[in-house]
Amino acid sequence: MRWAVPEAEFMDPGTLGCQGCGGALSMRMVLKEVGDDAAAVLPACCWSIIDGPWPLHSLNIPVLHTAFETAAVVATGIKAAKRHQGKDTTVIAWAGDGGTFDIGLQALSGAAERNEDILYVCYDNEAYMNTGIQRSSATPVGTWTTTTPDERPEPRPKKDIMAIMAAHRIPYAATATSAYPDDLARKVRTAVAARGGMRFLHVLSACPPGWKMPADQAIEAMRRAVLSKVFPLYELRNGRDLTITVWPDREVAIEEYFELQGRFAPLEHEPQTVEQIRSDVAERWQALVDRHERTMALAGA
Amino acid sequence: MSLEHVDDYPEIPVSLASTRTMLKTGAWRSVRPVLTERTAPCTTGCPAGLGVPAYLDDITAGRLDRAFLSLTARNPFPRITGRVCPHLCEDGCNLPIRTGDAAVSIRSIERWLGDQTADVAHPQPNPPTGKHVAVVGSGPAGLSAAYYLRRSGHEVTVYERRAEAGGVLRYGIPDYRLPAPIVASEVARLRNMGIDIRTGVALGADVTLADLEATHAAVFIATGAWQERPLEIDGAELLESGLAFLESVNQGEARVPGPHCAVIGAGNTAMDVARVLRRLGADVTVLYRRTAAEMPAIREEYEEALGDGVTFEWLTNPTAIDKNPAGLTVTVETMRLGEPDESGRRRPIPTGETRDVRFDGVFAATGETADLSPFPPFMQTRAGNLDVRPDGATRDPLVFVGGDLATGPATVIDAIVAGRRAARAIDHQLGFDARWPMDELSEPVAAAETNPTYITRRARTDSPPVATVDPFDEETRTLTTGEVLGEIERCMSCGHCNACRTCFVFCPDGAITWDEGPVIDHEFCKGCGICVVECPGHAMILINEREVSHA
Repeated sequence: MRWAVPEAEFMDPGTLGCQGCGGALSMRMVLKEVGDDAAAVLPACCWSIIDGPWPLHSLNIPVLHTAFETAAVVATGIKAAKRHQGKDTTVIAWAGDGGTFDIGLQALSGAAERNEDILYVCYDNEAYMNTGIQRSSATPVGTWTTTTPDERPEPRPKKDIMAIMAAHRIPYAATATSAYPDDLARKVRTAVAARGGMRFLHVLSACPPGWKMPADQAIEAMRRAVLSKVFPLYELRNGRDLTITVWPDREVAIEEYFELQGRFAPLEHEPQTVEQIRSDVAERWQALVDRHERTMALAGA
Repeated sequence: MSLEHVDDYPEIPVSLASTRTMLKTGAWRSVRPVLTERTAPCTTGCPAGLGVPAYLDDITAGRLDRAFLSLTARNPFPRITGRVCPHLCEDGCNLPIRTGDAAVSIRSIERWLGDQTADVAHPQPNPPTGKHVAVVGSGPAGLSAAYYLRRSGHEVTVYERRAEAGGVLRYGIPDYRLPAPIVASEVARLRNMGIDIRTGVALGADVTLADLEATHAAVFIATGAWQERPLEIDGAELLESGLAFLESVNQGEARVPGPHCAVIGAGNTAMDVARVLRRLGADVTVLYRRTAAEMPAIREEYEEALGDGVTFEWLTNPTAIDKNPAGLTVTVETMRLGEPDESGRRRPIPTGETRDVRFDGVFAATGETADLSPFPPFMQTRAGNLDVRPDGATRDPLVFVGGDLATGPATVIDAIVAGRRAARAIDHQLGFDARWPMDELSEPVAAAETNPTYITRRARTDSPPVATVDPFDEETRTLTTGEVLGEIERCMSCGHCNACRTCFVFCPDGAITWDEGPVIDHEFCKGCGICVVECPGHAMILINEREVSHA
């Protein structure tokens, strides 16, 4: 195949991302579509470090580092200032799962409810990786982290952030991952084009050190997340119209996703949890398919 | 504190320099990715060792001249092999192993490339060497040797006993598989290189080996295997030679003995004879003493014969033929399969059970042998074969041989390789560097190393059958350019970078830039290995930094 990914780069090399960093790759791919008429707000997260130590930084757009809970609201303020200046700059709130699912949720909810004209991207590596792999509410059930050790792995399922965003009825929300670059790129373009209101991208981003796997398996892990339907790729308009954008072209069992990653080692001893996950995954996929079909029926397709 | 004016705000630290200036993350690396050129399994499968992924890449990029040059460096006749090759390359394809999809239809692509470049002149020969080499026989081995000898700068004269050049290509293979005009145009292209091709000159009758040796620096002989192996049964003289029949048909003299014909044997010649008879309107039965599993014909030709309506009588061995007013009566004995013989195929064993079958004509095609009469006894082994080294050299230092003459019936591509190999040996013998590639191929890229995720998954497109009015018109057509480009998209390009950009797309560090191909910036590459794992054809490998620093 021939990739539809632009050649232009807006992330310089020399970032402090780990080997095989999915978060760095997500940023690189998103900026390729957003371009340089943009500004980013980074709350505390891996990217606070990845962008580089003062006086260096890697992104070819202005970046404002801010407090953990404030990504959405600071982006809102910058957008207001830009609008005041008569500029149409795309303002990106770029936060990890901790700054989105947990600590930044209030500010995010407020901005979403006000339908602020910002692009909020959550690059989700499913734990607080930057501080040394502590669990977040994005950590899947059965996962090892330093705060959910092998003998007591994560007991609760991953929070459904997309359902929360859907409840806010924002114009555009989508899941994506850099293992599907063309899909990711198209969603970024759609989000940028939907300017005027709140846009939310939930981007699964592999973390080789935190997921306990070799760096070269990062893309394969994200791909299996999609193929096993653990992380389906879809988009959601106005919180209602849902369309699945990537239909797995082959069957991949959830075990094939788990076995790549050492963080899922506790599941080897918890077959009942695996069965629970399997039925949850199947149920959620079926629900997505049902909503997709309803959307298609309403659109007259 | 008043915040009325911008100066009232506290200063904040701002990063203004790029990480590119000072953060050389390449220092983190313990392994580095390197672009390589590795051997593909299709290349090792091909007797000529054709670098298939490289010329497929050239086609996609529109560099047809370069594709033609890289192909003809190992096989001068893509238009011909693109039609008649048993395509062992496709048997090696990693795609079926990795995905279950059918192999890339390399032969059909080769045929398209051959047709597209049909009017491209062959490269200018090297400066004249002052040596004159004789080639006897203008089949695939002779023409191939003539081509490479001429490119080396030698003066080359080809002697052909028949009226037209081409040998088995012209007089053996039926027109519906390989039209005569295509052979003629390839011969013309060789003549344009300055090769002198003289027809109507037979070795032994018109010119002797000694004559040729006296007037040439070296002689390459490839007169093929045109003698039908005699069948030792009662009434064998009533049999017609399958090969002679094909020859007469290719000369436009189609004579069918009657509506019911039989062909004895199940090799490639037998398939051609049976199919030609079918096309001339006869009912055809193939009599073979073993079964479909043991038959020597290429599977594809057997299937095409079935498609033409040829019937097969397995485990049927003719033991006698008798003439009667109504035609020929063939006595056949029913066989059964026993233990495998030295060829690895199960041996047919007589059961004693016989029956008579009536035909109007019976053709023998049980294997062909070479005519060794022009060769003096000292060149032959005690068993009556020519004593030949792998490069074609014989006991006479001036004489080289190749093709079916040396090996017995084999494929066109085997003959082409024999011609190239002999040209190289003759070149060497005449005091020139061995200029034609014969290098040993390295271990091919294994299926497990490839990544089929990003190739286009679609059904294989092969040169399709076409409806023809004349049963001897070519039975398939060349693919269209669109079909070829689509088919190439299925190829993983094992071991060859075809500039698909997958490595560039997935580099988390932006450490790969693009200049026709990937350029890895080792100042910043952290050595994560994603490019190597995601590369569809595994054209990148990781090497240990220690090997680089200690090199």
